[in-house]
Amino acid sequence: MTQPIDDLTALATPYALHAIPETERSAIDQRLADAPPDVARAFDDEVRAVRETMAVISAATAVEPPFELRDRVLAEIRQAPVVPLQRKSRPWRATILAAAAAIIIGLGALGVGYALRPAPQTSTAEQIFAAPDVRTISGEIPGGGTATVVFSREKNAGVLVMNNVTPPEAGTVYQMWLINDAGPHSAGTMDAKAVAPSTTAVLPNLDGSSTLAFTVEPPGGSAQPTTEPFAALPLT
Amino acid sequence: MTLFAAVDRLPLVTTDLDELLRRVARRDVDAFATFYDQTRARVFGLVTRVLRDPGYSEETTQDIYLQVWRTADAYNPAAGTPLSWLMTIAHRRAVDRVRSEQAAGQRESRYGAANVEPPSDLVAESVISNDERRQVADCLGSLTDTQREAIQLAYYDGLTYVQVSERLSANLATIKSRMRDAIRGLRRCLGLS
Repeated sequence: MTQPIDDLTALATPYALHAIPETERSAIDQRLADAPPDVARAFDDEVRAVRETMAVISAATAVEPPFELRDRVLAEIRQAPVVPLQRKSRPWRATILAAAAAIIIGLGALGVGYALRPAPQTSTAEQIFAAPDVRTISGEIPGGGTATVVFSREKNAGVLVMNNVTPPEAGTVYQMWLINDAGPHSAGTMDAKAVAPSTTAVLPNLDGSSTLAFTVEPPGGSAQPTTEPFAALPLT
Repeated sequence: MTLFAAVDRLPLVTTDLDELLRRVARRDVDAFATFYDQTRARVFGLVTRVLRDPGYSEETTQDIYLQVWRTADAYNPAAGTPLSWLMTIAHRRAVDRVRSEQAAGQRESRYGAANVEPPSDLVAESVISNDERRQVADCLGSLTDTQREAIQLAYYDGLTYVQVSERLSANLATIKSRMRDAIRGLRRCLGLS
């Protein structure tokens, strides 16, 4: 560490205000991961305080959106299931494992740290990062972008982060599948808006899954995969 | 209503949002609709302030609530209030959008002025009381000009602290201090610390 700790703490406010240049962000995350626990905790406390403050301040800029937006938002969430669909047994695992081997993969084990800690998943991510068996798997998606999964068997959960992934074609979604001995089960869908430019999703029930695979499916997703996976990450 | 009443109100709203968010995590569409109604003006207002474009702001607001729907189960009350969780998502999305538009050269750099506009009168009083808005606006007004300018440029215009320092010809340490002092001033004024 060439820079003093004080310098790190001074970055907490711009960090919380999303005012850190993207090029510096991962370096800060790495320093936080390497920092003594009390320094990391002080940084987190500061970030939390800034965000709580700005949440209250949002009263000052409040403006009613157009009424039609409500209908559009509600229509969209009705088409966006993220709950696991019905799980069925099916001899699909061999296919997916072969695909996993064949298709990808610029695999690289990333340093586990704050890099994968966007605000919305802070709590789940923190639990996963705190787990003694936390692991990170990252791979390039054919067609562009990267997918990274940080997961813990002990917590039976993971966080998926996708960056710069080419959005699905119109009229299709990407569906994620966790595959274990019982076969694939859906881990949710992502449409074009959800994909770009980056997105995170919680994978709540790993249940012994050995692979996370992605297929192209019709809007709303499918109960079972209907196309060959275009990407897969081994959760090992 | 006194200012104290406005402050007392916040935890109540927060508790409500907490319960709503738990129900949203269980895929309760009605709870989601109520959560939207309770928060839409804050979200849309912030996004509009950052993006300055009604069309982009509507799209981004829609994206934000879709993210709420998808990730409500990741919300952890121990990590912060639901409103803080939501507004962090909203701000992140808005800033990402601004930066991608800037990268594409579609948004002019016309936001040098460090001013916080007076609150709009368009918000239903049942969600945010006039007293609350006045108090928050007063607290923003209580900052020094340089503190307010730093918050304006970084938070509302989506500049990085490095860009803020270039814009104001001030060194990085000074800018970071101004941001930190601005937040501390706001917290004191709002009775949050």
